[in-house]
Parts: sequence; C-alpha cells; structure tokens
Amino acid sequence: MEAIIVRDLHKKFRLSHERTASLKALALSFRRKKYEDIHALKGVSFSVQAGETVAVVGKNGSGKSTLLGIMARVYRPTSGEVVMNGRVSSLLELGAGFHPELTGIENIYLNGSILGMRRREIDKRLDEIISFAELEQFIDAPLRTYSSGMVMRLGFSIAIQVDPDIMLVDEVLAVGDESFQKKCYDKVREFQSAGKTIIFVSHDLKAIREAATRAIWLDSGEIRADDGVEAVLGAYVEHSLASKDRADVP
Amino acid sequence: MLKEFAELVRYRELLLNLVVRDLKVRYKNSVLGFFWSLTNPLLQVAVITLVIRRVMEAPIPNYSAYLLCAFLPWTFFQMSVLDASSSILFHSDLVKKTYFPREILPASIVLSNLVHFILALGVFFVYLLVLGTPILVTWLLLPVVVIIQLLLNMGVAFFVSCLNVFYEDIKYLATVVLSLLFFLTPIMYLVEQINSSKGIPDAYRPILLNFHFLNPLSMLMTAYRKLLLPAFNTQTIHDIPLNYWYLALAGLTSLLIFLAGYAFFNSRKWYFAERV
Repeated sequence: MEAIIVRDLHKKFRLSHERTASLKALALSFRRKKYEDIHALKGVSFSVQAGETVAVVGKNGSGKSTLLGIMARVYRPTSGEVVMNGRVSSLLELGAGFHPELTGIENIYLNGSILGMRRREIDKRLDEIISFAELEQFIDAPLRTYSSGMVMRLGFSIAIQVDPDIMLVDEVLAVGDESFQKKCYDKVREFQSAGKTIIFVSHDLKAIREAATRAIWLDSGEIRADDGVEAVLGAYVEHSLASKDRADVP
Repeated sequence: MLKEFAELVRYRELLLNLVVRDLKVRYKNSVLGFFWSLTNPLLQVAVITLVIRRVMEAPIPNYSAYLLCAFLPWTFFQMSVLDASSSILFHSDLVKKTYFPREILPASIVLSNLVHFILALGVFFVYLLVLGTPILVTWLLLPVVVIIQLLLNMGVAFFVSCLNVFYEDIKYLATVVLSLLFFLTPIMYLVEQINSSKGIPDAYRPILLNFHFLNPLSMLMTAYRKLLLPAFNTQTIHDIPLNYWYLALAGLTSLLIFLAGYAFFNSRKWYFAERV
C-alpha cells in the first residue's frame, strides 16, 4: 500500500527584496518589481510504500525542507498534489508552543494538542512521555528551569507518542547526550518494525546508512536520484566532491 | 468554509489550551495572581466614580454606572483587536513549523479577553448592587449581547490579524482607528445626549442617531446600558428605549462581519508561513 504519493509537485516562493512588509513599501513598489520568484520545487514526483524509511539528501537550498513542509501541511503547493495515507506526525520542530513559565506537564498538554493529540490520549501516555524523557523529578517545575537538552528531550518524547503512521523528521534526531540518542535510534527501529513510514532529511550520512531503506537526492528542486541508499549516497558524495562544495560532505 | 470550521472543531482542545496558557502565563509570577484581572475594572470603577462625583457634573443619576457599562465592553473590543493584530507574527515559529488551523491564534486571543470581560462584568454587577440600582428582567438578555459582541470581535480580529501579516502598518492603523472610534461611539456620553446637546445643529441629529443605531459597535454599547441599567428621564435628557429591531440588525451585521472575516482569513491563512 502506498503511504505517500507525491505528484508533479511545484512550489514557488515570492521572495520580497525588502524584509519589512508595509503599506509604504506597497505604495513605493507600485510600478517597480521588488520581488523575485524562487522555484523551490520543480515537478517532484515519487511514492513511498508503507513501512519504508526514506532519507532525503541534497545541498542547502535544494528544496528538501520545502518538500517536508508541504508534506507537513505547513505550505500549500503551487501546483501538484501530495496524498498522505494515515496519521502524520512531523518532527520539524521539537517542543512547538512550549512556554517557559508553564510546568513540564502543562507543556506536554499544550504541545500535544498542537501535534493533534486529544486530552485523553495524552492522559494515557503521560507516564511514558515523562519516563522516556527521563524527567520524572522535574516535570512539575517550570520549563525555564530546564537545560536546553532537557527541553529537547521532552519535545522529542512527546512527538514520538503521537503514534503516527507516517513520521516526518527534519534533522532533529541529534538531541540530547549519547545515551539519549541511542534511545532515539532504538525508537526509530521500533517504528520501522511496527511498519510505520518515515521520511527524514539529514546531512548525517552515517545516520542515513544506519536507518534508511531508500534515499532521494534533491538538486535545485528536482529529483536527481531515487534509489537504494548506497547507490544514491555514492553518487551524491561524488557529485559534492566534484563540485568542490564540501560544506555538505562529512 | 464548513470544512475549515470542522477542522477547527477537531482542534478545539488546542484552542482551549492556548486560552488557558494565556490566562495562566499572564499572572504566573505575580503575588496576587488572578486578582490582577479584577484590579483593572475595580480601578476603573473607582476613578470614574470619583471623577463623576467630584469633578464633572453628572447629567443623570448614577452616571458612573452608565459610563462603566459601556467602557467595559469597549475594553473587550479594543484589547481583542489590538492583541489579535500581532497574534500571527508573535507565533511565527509555530506557523512556520507546524500544521494547525491558523484561526486558532486570533480566536484564542479574543476568547481570553472574553474571560477578562466576564470577570469585569462580575465586578460591575457587585458595583450595581452597592449603588442600589434595581435588578432588571432584561439582565437575562445579557448573554445575547455578549455573543453578538463576540462575533463582532472575532470578525474584526480575523481581518486585522490576517492583514497585519502582509502589512505590518495595520497594527498602528488599528490603534489610530480605535482611538477615533472610542469617541464616535457612545461610551463617554449617552446616545440620548445627541438629542439634547446644544452643540449639534438640529439637522444633524437624525444622521448622528442613525449612525449610532446602524453601526453594530455603537448599538452594542447602547444595548448593554439599556439592558443592565434603568431608564432615566431628566429635564433635558429623554430616554430612548432599546429598539430590539436595531439590536437584531446589529446581530446580523456582526454575524456578516464574522463570516466575512473568517472567509478572508481562510483565503490567506496558508500563505502566513511564507511571510512570517
């Protein structure tokens, strides 16, 4: 069964040259062209079977985050369509809506409802969220007393409790110390063996080799390669080295 | 629009949580906590009473109650619009990274201001009992007027919050328009004074009166007074009883503003992430 179908996806952004939008800018730019259109995705098509773990690679600005943003329904495509079969959880941002003055528990309910969880669901999973984040002693303290690592752990631990069919991950697996990271990867494998679909964007080639079953290479808004992990990464690394764009090569 | 509304209903817990967060966070670290929400209306009562008693000449008995009766709902309107205007930009990290019905942001602002308004109304009723104004059957109609005002506030909040994403001047424009509206709306004066004021030429009286009865904001302010406070008659000022047809018209206009605001907001809400 197909979990994700992406058909001829295009996305254009209108990039304003002036950062501040104002009525004055509107009046002054009445006849001058003060913006340019960025064609971030140029006809991307692919489909993902349920249970696949797909890594998306590409340089900065290749359209990876835009693609993920459209799948997460943050952006609307300019044309084309995305069909997601099943409940989606996106880990584009951990701890969305967290407020420093609220306690850990209060933030769990707030963040959980942003991720689309019901109160009853959160009630049921509260203990697991707290124990996975290893925050039992601090959960009634306001978030501002947490270290940044603790905040990330809490955010991650809520996000994985959404119990999605499809997970979208944007380079956030690198949270917490080594033992927490190991827990995260264990969780990912648990998701995989439960037959869930995972799409993740990463520059970490080692993580991709460990977790992914397939890789898609995006280049300037187009799919350059879509194949097994080794084949795609091999071509991608070779291309990156050849173009001397070493920034993305580990 | 029905589909959008169904999605909003699905996310009702988020709306509720954001309202609760707003109320909790506001007074979390203050010693008096939630009582601060009551201090504002209490202070307003005290100051207005003092000024009316000692400085101004009250045109009718218990004038301070009539002032407050319009001033509190005005504050509800003004705070809803001003807070909502920056609501999307304020939550730009949420808008850029997560999916949820965007209208939840301005709606939660209006609802948390509604909570403050209801608290203030509680203080106001205590004040009425202290003053000894009569208990009226028409008090029962208060929820109707509050609901009409809620629709109006929501509608305006949708327009302002959406436009402010694209033109940040809207926030400042709103401040200016609000300060003009404050004087164009019968808050610091009674709508009846249009008929009695020596400064207004006779020919203009019907125009001004109609302006007040036809625009929903003025009509609401007047309706609060008529329903909560007794009729009055002095030598110069003659009470104009509440015309329920005008109130119904205000209800209809508010509903239309709400629907138009919601439709406008919906047509643009998926571009917010690209602009904030």
